[in-house]
Amino acid sequence: MRVARTILIRLLRVVSLVLLAALGTIVLMRVAPGYFTDSREMDGQYASAGRAAVQERQAEEGTLAASLAVSVRGWSHGSLGQSRQYDVPVTQLLRERAAASSKLLLGGVAAGWLLSLALTLLLSARRTRAGEPLIALSTAVLLALPVGALATFCLLSEFGGPMFVLALLIAVRDFKLLYRMLRQALRAPQVLYARAQGFSYARILRVHLLRTLGAELLSLAMMSFAVALSALVPVEVIFDVPGLGQLAWNAAMNRDLPVLVAVTLVMAACVGVASLFAEAGVTQETAQCA
Amino acid sequence: MKIWYLPTLAAACLSGVTATAALAQAGNNEIAWSLKYDPKTLDPAKVDDQASETVRYFTGGVLLRVNRHTQQFEPALAASWNVSPDGKLVTFKLRSGLKFSDGSPLTSKDVVATLQRVLLPATAAPAAEEFLTPASVTVDAPDASTVRVHLPKRVTNVGKVFDEIAIEPANKPSEGRVTAGPFVIADYKRGESLLLKRNPFYWKHDASGAALPYLASMRLDILANREQDELRFVRRQYQVLDSVPADTFDQLARRAPGSVHDLGASLNTEQLWFNQAPGSPLPAWEKKWFTSRAFRNAVSLAIHREDLARIAYSGHATPANGFVSPANAVWYNKQLKPVHADVSAALRLLAKEGFHKTAAGLVDAEGHPVKFSLLTNAGNRSREKMASLVQQDLTALGMQVNVVTLDFPALIERLMHSQNYEAAMLGLSNVEPDPSSMMNVWLSSSPNHQWNPAEKTPATEWEAEIDKQMLQQAEAADLKVRKTAVDRVQQIVADQQPFIYLVYPNMLCAVSPSLNGVEFSVLQPDVLSNIDSIRWKASR
Amino acid sequence: MRLAFTVRPVAWVLLAFTVLAALWIVHRSPMDYAMQDRDHISEGRSAQHSTGTDELGRDRTVRTAAALLLGLAGAVAASALASSLAVSVGVGAAFAPVWIAKSLMYLCDLFLTLPWIFLLMTVRASLPLNLSPAHSAELTFFLLALLGAPVFVRVNYARAFAVRNAEWLLHGRASGLRTMQLARRHVLPHLRPLFLSQFLIYVPVCLIAEANLGTLGLGVTQPLPSWGSMLQELESSAMLAGSHWVYLPIALLVVVLLMLELVLFEVDA
Repeated sequence: MRVARTILIRLLRVVSLVLLAALGTIVLMRVAPGYFTDSREMDGQYASAGRAAVQERQAEEGTLAASLAVSVRGWSHGSLGQSRQYDVPVTQLLRERAAASSKLLLGGVAAGWLLSLALTLLLSARRTRAGEPLIALSTAVLLALPVGALATFCLLSEFGGPMFVLALLIAVRDFKLLYRMLRQALRAPQVLYARAQGFSYARILRVHLLRTLGAELLSLAMMSFAVALSALVPVEVIFDVPGLGQLAWNAAMNRDLPVLVAVTLVMAACVGVASLFAEAGVTQETAQCA
Repeated sequence: MKIWYLPTLAAACLSGVTATAALAQAGNNEIAWSLKYDPKTLDPAKVDDQASETVRYFTGGVLLRVNRHTQQFEPALAASWNVSPDGKLVTFKLRSGLKFSDGSPLTSKDVVATLQRVLLPATAAPAAEEFLTPASVTVDAPDASTVRVHLPKRVTNVGKVFDEIAIEPANKPSEGRVTAGPFVIADYKRGESLLLKRNPFYWKHDASGAALPYLASMRLDILANREQDELRFVRRQYQVLDSVPADTFDQLARRAPGSVHDLGASLNTEQLWFNQAPGSPLPAWEKKWFTSRAFRNAVSLAIHREDLARIAYSGHATPANGFVSPANAVWYNKQLKPVHADVSAALRLLAKEGFHKTAAGLVDAEGHPVKFSLLTNAGNRSREKMASLVQQDLTALGMQVNVVTLDFPALIERLMHSQNYEAAMLGLSNVEPDPSSMMNVWLSSSPNHQWNPAEKTPATEWEAEIDKQMLQQAEAADLKVRKTAVDRVQQIVADQQPFIYLVYPNMLCAVSPSLNGVEFSVLQPDVLSNIDSIRWKASR
Repeated sequence: MRLAFTVRPVAWVLLAFTVLAALWIVHRSPMDYAMQDRDHISEGRSAQHSTGTDELGRDRTVRTAAALLLGLAGAVAASALASSLAVSVGVGAAFAPVWIAKSLMYLCDLFLTLPWIFLLMTVRASLPLNLSPAHSAELTFFLLALLGAPVFVRVNYARAFAVRNAEWLLHGRASGLRTMQLARRHVLPHLRPLFLSQFLIYVPVCLIAEANLGTLGLGVTQPLPSWGSMLQELESSAMLAGSHWVYLPIALLVVVLLMLELVLFEVDA
């Protein structure tokens, strides 16, 4: 019974998050300047077509409430609406583009984590600190470099692709946090004691660190997921990956509300599910403490 | 040493790879290039954006074609055509033995059906508007090879409309899958690419009788990123780059020698203007500045246009003095003088209007400091640089300018809807040389009459005069009368400066030297306008 | 321990020297950051311009120095504010009743999914177009601080939660320390490395985000030099092909980040 309730609550959490995100997106885009415009309005040749499109849109959803109603009505029929830009059902667009983005995102995040974990463990396991200046320098360079510039460098030097850039981006941020966390954890009295007793590093890691840092690692994973999502746009745009990031950017720049709402729905679902894991980590820890 | 050696080795391998790629393409007899965004529609009747227009140009079979190079009409599906003396009847005689790409015959029935579909209000075809009163236009076919179009009144330059109507099989619109043009759409992956295959039944043959087009296929990738676009061109994966940005032109010339072309001034203009709309939410004194002819002329005189061309466009632009570019040889007013920066003359003009310079800057007669914002769109590097240069130029007059870049929808909202802006800097693309196409910019009643849109009656005498001259040129059949009217409009604009013209950006493009028969034109599509006669060089 | 003694003061001195040098350049140079030397466009090092000029002929030394001062002040303040906000919310949530904590995390998740770019557009639309470049810069960095905080909240919450349940804290509580005392003596010191890491990560993020907001009419507007825009120039292959002095801003940023790291973290050799 309790398990069912917990599952229900968590499910409710994700669903409400997704819904609120969608409604929030509609409000934000609708209130922002330029909602009732069309890029063709300024083009002498196609100005009248542009104006007609704007008028049609205004007639359909003149007020914020009307915009919300149009979307909610669509959702109740199981439809995410029609893309303004491409004039095709949004679900079709999402289907076409989801694979490329999820592959990129999952691959990038996984590679980023592995890289940062490996680097952290390697550096913290060693007693000497010879490699540290080099690592510090390269992380500083990677932090200072805009994602777009990193992507352009890769593109021009023909070294690494979009996944590489994403992985590097996540790795450097995760590493910074992870390394400090681990160093701090290594100085905890019980760990120092265990080390003094001559336990192997691997054992200390397993017995002490993973247990105490579990929840934080999950939160960190969640954070890197958010970082990856935001980097998806420039990476996809520069490497020309036909994915959701590129779609979202075009939708934002063309005020294609149904598409942006749909992309937000997907992103919110991702964040919602990821946060479930992060929360599960904290809850587990509470249980342990209790 | 070794480190330096590595990239060279990689480059050597790479050039081998790309040369192979190019050879493979030549073997396929395919050329590739990119569209910046997805075509909004593949239905040739509904084309209302540039990407769709490009696709229609390559796939659509039309009755008449404007030769983009000579700017003259050439019969296409129609073997001949004529317009009655009163301009109300246009008759086309079709070529014999015409076929669609699926092998079915193309007759006057298909032409009539296509034209009727275009004229139907439900289709909402943008081309229909060019007939002025599409509802009263009728079409009939007295026989299988003759088509007659009845117009209620004369339409200037009516032939141009037929360049935009792609003939489709009667009652079977196919969105470019069955065409009478040089290519057909074989495959379209949204957001990725568009594949056009040669139409085996295309009507045109070369001098030796060989069927055109020479190319077997064309691949148009949907690619927004310019860096990628240029990289693929340098790697010879693409054979064409239309519109190379000025800031990368020289670099591209080094990376791909022999393939980049600066074709001189284009038909396009870059301009700056002040908001003169009486209903705008600007303070009264600012409206007074912006409606002052002396103020606008002073600003114009303070701008160093040569610097704009040299610095913002790395020399690949021509200083402007009016709305008709010198590339438009027929309509350009040669009497107009180039505008050279003259700060002291500008200050004298301002002084006459009561403006004077103080330690803090220029103030108007009532003591308001002259400070305004200059809006422009984000993402056009040359334009952003021009804005900075103009900002600096105007400090010489004591004017304080705030440059604000906005994303396009937010910009359009201010320019077209709320009128909440002071000055703006944008470019205008002219797709055709005939001044009739610029009517919606110059008629004071037009919503695209940017400095004061949709005036109920002309706000000033000179705007009324522009209206009169533009209408006159649109209605006159005699080229001389039209030219005189358009020259007069150019002169009024030069005197009044409602638009302060800055530069004509040059037409910059790149074409692989492996292609034969490429003809450049200032009209769209500027590079591959004669697509049916382009081929790979034999040596490849 | 000896290393800590030697490195940290050196880093302080270098950081101070960088800032002072930038100040000196901005105030003492005969050039102004807005002055366009139109006869010397995109040039390398010359007698007049020690690190060359940018694409509008403006002196790169002065512009970089001014951008460094402006960017450093803005980004450091924004990053400190964002990190403090994240820590406060995280700690608050960890020590609050469970339902408050869950609600706060929920709000943060929601915050992460919403397209805030439209809020920024709305902010820009509600401001006068004649907003001075300096005000625009201040406002942008403030917005960046607010928008950046939620990314880090969850990590701080997890850390603070772990601290809350640590035995030594329970011990401290049992020995009668008040909440504020506990926070000052135990909780905050344990969150310090995390706080500093976030701070360091977010400084360059702020700089680059500021340049991105330029496309929405916010950010450090012309003719003020923006460090972020200078970094963004590295996205254009045309710029890279020009003078190698275009790498000066990023080199400086790397140096500043390294110095900040050395200054902020104790080097425990």
